[in-house]
Amino acid sequence: MDAFAPSDEGTWLPVSAALGRSRRISLLLAYVLVLAVVVALFLVPDVPRLVAIVVAVVAVAVFVWAWWLIGRRVRAWGYELRPDDLLVARGIMFRRLVIVPYGRMQLVDVVAGPIERWCGVATVQLHTAAATTDAAIPGLVPEVAAELRDTLARLGEQRAAGL
Amino acid sequence: MSGAAPDPFGNALIRPGRSAPGPDGRRKVHPLTPLVHGLRVVPVIVVIGVSLVSRGRPEGEGAAVLITLGVALGLAIVVTGLRYVAWRRLTFWFDSDGDLRVDSGVLTRQERRLQLSRLQSVEVVAPFNARLVGLAEVRVETAGSSHSKAVLQFLTTAEAQDLRNEIVARAAGVRPDAGEAPEQVLVTVPPGELVASLLMRGTTVLLLLLTVAVIIPTVIAAGPAALGLVVLGGVPIFTVFSEFSSYYGFTIARSDDGLRLRHGLLRTAHQTVPPGRVQAIGFVQPLLWRRRGWVRVRLNVAGMSRDGRGGEQAYTEHTLLPVAPWPVARAVVAHVLPGVDIESIALEPAPARSRWRAPIQWHQLGVGWDDRVLVAKRGRVTRHWTVMPHQRTQSVRVTQGPWQRAVGLASVWFDSTPGPVKVVALHRDAAQAQELALAQAQRASSARARDRTTRWAQPPP
Repeated sequence: MDAFAPSDEGTWLPVSAALGRSRRISLLLAYVLVLAVVVALFLVPDVPRLVAIVVAVVAVAVFVWAWWLIGRRVRAWGYELRPDDLLVARGIMFRRLVIVPYGRMQLVDVVAGPIERWCGVATVQLHTAAATTDAAIPGLVPEVAAELRDTLARLGEQRAAGL
Repeated sequence: MSGAAPDPFGNALIRPGRSAPGPDGRRKVHPLTPLVHGLRVVPVIVVIGVSLVSRGRPEGEGAAVLITLGVALGLAIVVTGLRYVAWRRLTFWFDSDGDLRVDSGVLTRQERRLQLSRLQSVEVVAPFNARLVGLAEVRVETAGSSHSKAVLQFLTTAEAQDLRNEIVARAAGVRPDAGEAPEQVLVTVPPGELVASLLMRGTTVLLLLLTVAVIIPTVIAAGPAALGLVVLGGVPIFTVFSEFSSYYGFTIARSDDGLRLRHGLLRTAHQTVPPGRVQAIGFVQPLLWRRRGWVRVRLNVAGMSRDGRGGEQAYTEHTLLPVAPWPVARAVVAHVLPGVDIESIALEPAPARSRWRAPIQWHQLGVGWDDRVLVAKRGRVTRHWTVMPHQRTQSVRVTQGPWQRAVGLASVWFDSTPGPVKVVALHRDAAQAQELALAQAQRASSARARDRTTRWAQPPP
């Protein structure tokens, strides 16, 4: 059995492909800076042309790789609502599976940055008394995120336990 | 509160004394408090002054000493004045729900309510300067963020003890005038054993080397006179002394309101950990302790960390026992987790192929459980053995890095509240990791359904 497969009776609910769009926009914005550096290398006369070309090639290669990786990483996210707990899986190289019992959730946040809002995605962030829990589901359509937050809050209320 | 009103929570039972309630039922801390705070700046200023004087200029030495003393006195008066205003504003009392309320603040008023049903620990601490005049502070921590605690500075030692008893009694759900529950001393750590254990650690050796590395270049560069400055600036080896001073006379006593920990040479602390508040327990055994069979016992207790005060308190508050032989430590832990026999739990070792990922510690890795607790073991040079009651599991994680993936391994983390104890089953068979994680989540939720640890002394409704 694969450690990061969904549980026997369930399947992973995927996150929205719009998450990939928002991350690619962030990547493009970051590359505006890289582009400026590369152009500067070509314009400054003291820099050998070869160095500038090598930097430009590396920058393009990293860009293509990151662009492709974003798609794979978005597809690697998955979550499953089980009767008593929430499962969240993510990662390709470093894979993670988090199991959060509903009774242990202390609060649920919905967060969306400006690029995410523009692309129409939001992140549902879960908090327990442990700082290491690290359970977040990014890339949810705002309506789905709000619904999930309410569902989680309701389930948490029903199964609330002390510390 | 009028005298005729019924008083189910016993607010009228507070003993008379300097912190006796005012007409509105509120109490104040001891009037010497501002002075204790004020005098605390004096040694600091004097040390700075002396080190400046020792830099030379023998002709103006007398004047310099006078100026230093003057500055110290002036600052002490200013601090005392500020603290006096704060003292006038600080009141505390128990409200009609039986919870502790603290009002404080001069410019920013603060009204804090500590829900005693979520009490995590009560501590009576006497810092050295307060101890000289017979005062102590009371620290109360409840579950939640760093805002869920209160420090009441200062009360006389007897009043602080009474307040502690009252808080614990209210949290336990018995009459607030129940007084101090009788106690039974379990362990006292002998000073010799403490010194030996502190010396027989890699950390101490490292600190010693660091100290030498600091002193030698200073002496070469500036001559022996600079030694004074180095000592004033604090040398690394001092942390071992402060650890010794903090753990000196470490005593654990058992009572109905939980375990009581007492320790300290200069600054004494009396801490109470109510039953059922311990989130996880960790045994640590550095390499050199193994021949003597010593272990240190550390705790995760909700509400004790996260405020990053650092220094001395950061490690004492998490230590149940600084050093003890294994049978003694096990007996103490048996009081924290009654009815649990840790040694009878069979540990399942990590698969043999984990040697490709963790060649040194792989055969020390293991995890096991019974119907009450989960036990996980790791570490070769310093051995870690961790225990977590099922109902304290916050969440469970499975992680796998590329290297682990190549050999078909995955680690399972059992998240506890922030603290020194990390419960993890490293490098399990990847095929069984998810099963292990889901099974633990299941055990945790069924254990929580049975759990009843708040208001522990109250009969069930």
